[in-house]
Amino acid sequence: MPEPTGVIHDIGYQRYTGPRLGRRHVFGALYLHGLRTAFGLGRTAKAKIFPWLVVGIVTVTAAALTAVRTQIGQVLLTYAQFADAMSWLVIFFVAVVAPELVSRDLRSGVLPLYFSRPLPRGDYALAKLAALVTALWLLLGGPQLVMFLGAAFTTKTGMRGVWNELLDLLPGLLYAGLWAVVFASVGLLVASLTGKRAFAAGGIVAVFLMTTPIVGTLSIMPSRTVNELAGLASPSTLVQGVGAWALRDWLLTGEQSAGVSVGRFGPVYAAAALLLVAGSIVLLLARYRKVATR
Amino acid sequence: MSTVSWITARGLFGRRRFLMLLPLPAVLLVLAVTSRALGVDPGQWGPPVLVGLGLAVVLPVVALIVGTGVLGAEIDDGTVVHILTKPLPRWQIVLPKLAVATGVTAVTVAVPLYVAGVLAHSVRLGLALAVAASLGALAYSALFVALSLLTRRPVLLGLVYVLIWEGLLGNVVSGTKVLSIQQYVIALADRLAPTELLGTTVSVTVAAVMTALVSVGFTVLAVDRLRSYSVAGETS
Repeated sequence: MPEPTGVIHDIGYQRYTGPRLGRRHVFGALYLHGLRTAFGLGRTAKAKIFPWLVVGIVTVTAAALTAVRTQIGQVLLTYAQFADAMSWLVIFFVAVVAPELVSRDLRSGVLPLYFSRPLPRGDYALAKLAALVTALWLLLGGPQLVMFLGAAFTTKTGMRGVWNELLDLLPGLLYAGLWAVVFASVGLLVASLTGKRAFAAGGIVAVFLMTTPIVGTLSIMPSRTVNELAGLASPSTLVQGVGAWALRDWLLTGEQSAGVSVGRFGPVYAAAALLLVAGSIVLLLARYRKVATR
Repeated sequence: MSTVSWITARGLFGRRRFLMLLPLPAVLLVLAVTSRALGVDPGQWGPPVLVGLGLAVVLPVVALIVGTGVLGAEIDDGTVVHILTKPLPRWQIVLPKLAVATGVTAVTVAVPLYVAGVLAHSVRLGLALAVAASLGALAYSALFVALSLLTRRPVLLGLVYVLIWEGLLGNVVSGTKVLSIQQYVIALADRLAPTELLGTTVSVTVAAVMTALVSVGFTVLAVDRLRSYSVAGETS
């Protein structure tokens, strides 16, 4: 057998010796990419249909409310009530976006590629969660801003009216953030359990919708304590309960009543919301510790 | 039982994820039993449990998961090619799959609804709910099987129908109730066992005709779509 005559030519490959961006930049890039994915930016038109359908409906509703208010001068929905009224659309939006964020990566098996970067397991999940929270907050906050602008430009009391309106808007935005955090953490946890987007979407809707009638049934039980604690059974009434307790002075004016009556159990609602979010995040992180080892 | 339906049933039950279907009917049962045990007036707990949970959530969501699962899952992972290349007429593929979807949905939903109906009012209401829910399962399954052939995102489109059309618009714009399977089911159940627990604006004739029309129409559509089906990769 003749000696091998192969030669390795030096064609000028070089090692990268410049500065390397660290963990923070990986997190930032992943967050930004997640936020763009949520609205289908930088992707085909097909990926934009469903997110923008929801955004469109929500914005049109806000515009219609603003129009009614400027013409008749009657406030149909306050900022907080607007967030409550849009709850089904928020659920649908989570069912569209959360599988898009995490299930695709599970399905196509690209997680090892992510984790070969200087990216701790937890950062991946937290970046996706932050992206979903931001997307949901924008979904609710954007229309609230539309309502605010409509009210601010038609106010009859000058700067003072604008200032009062702004004081109404800020708690509304805070409340929208509460919706975003609770729904994003639960939705992302459900979505991270399966790589099939179809099953993830079905699962998210099942979890959120199934719990609402439980509240309806518990709130007619023959016990006042059970009635006032009924809202704990469903994420949406849980959020409404926290809002009714913590932001009562700003969210509700006079004769309007809250969606759920929390009685003296306001702090219990707040604790339950905190526990739900924290528990979901812990489970999400645990899930990614397990997924990453495969 | 044909081979196609056997494969479909095994595809549904062979994985652990079919356990995801069980909590929905279980919650329905638990709520009905609890309300009954505590002696709450059926007029109060009947509507939220029977209609609000049973007919408005459990039936469509189970039908959606199962209906898009029988054919959509195979299309999704590309194994539908194996069935398409067999010398079978297309209707012999669609009909068994539809039958399995309807059967599974009907059993999952009708049994807890029957029990809840008996607890709420009478055996007659239970039977009426079970029969109406089974008919509804057929209509929903036909719709969702056809959807999984018409689009690459059948679950999301199905959710648009269930959440936005039936859920949101059905409450605000009453005219859309004429095109809502949920209202047909309520109308049929109310006709079979007239009680004050169920109420709808859709007439029984419209409900019966439309349920039949939806079931047959979407099945024919599904067979037709599968006849000229083109295999494509995963879209973004």
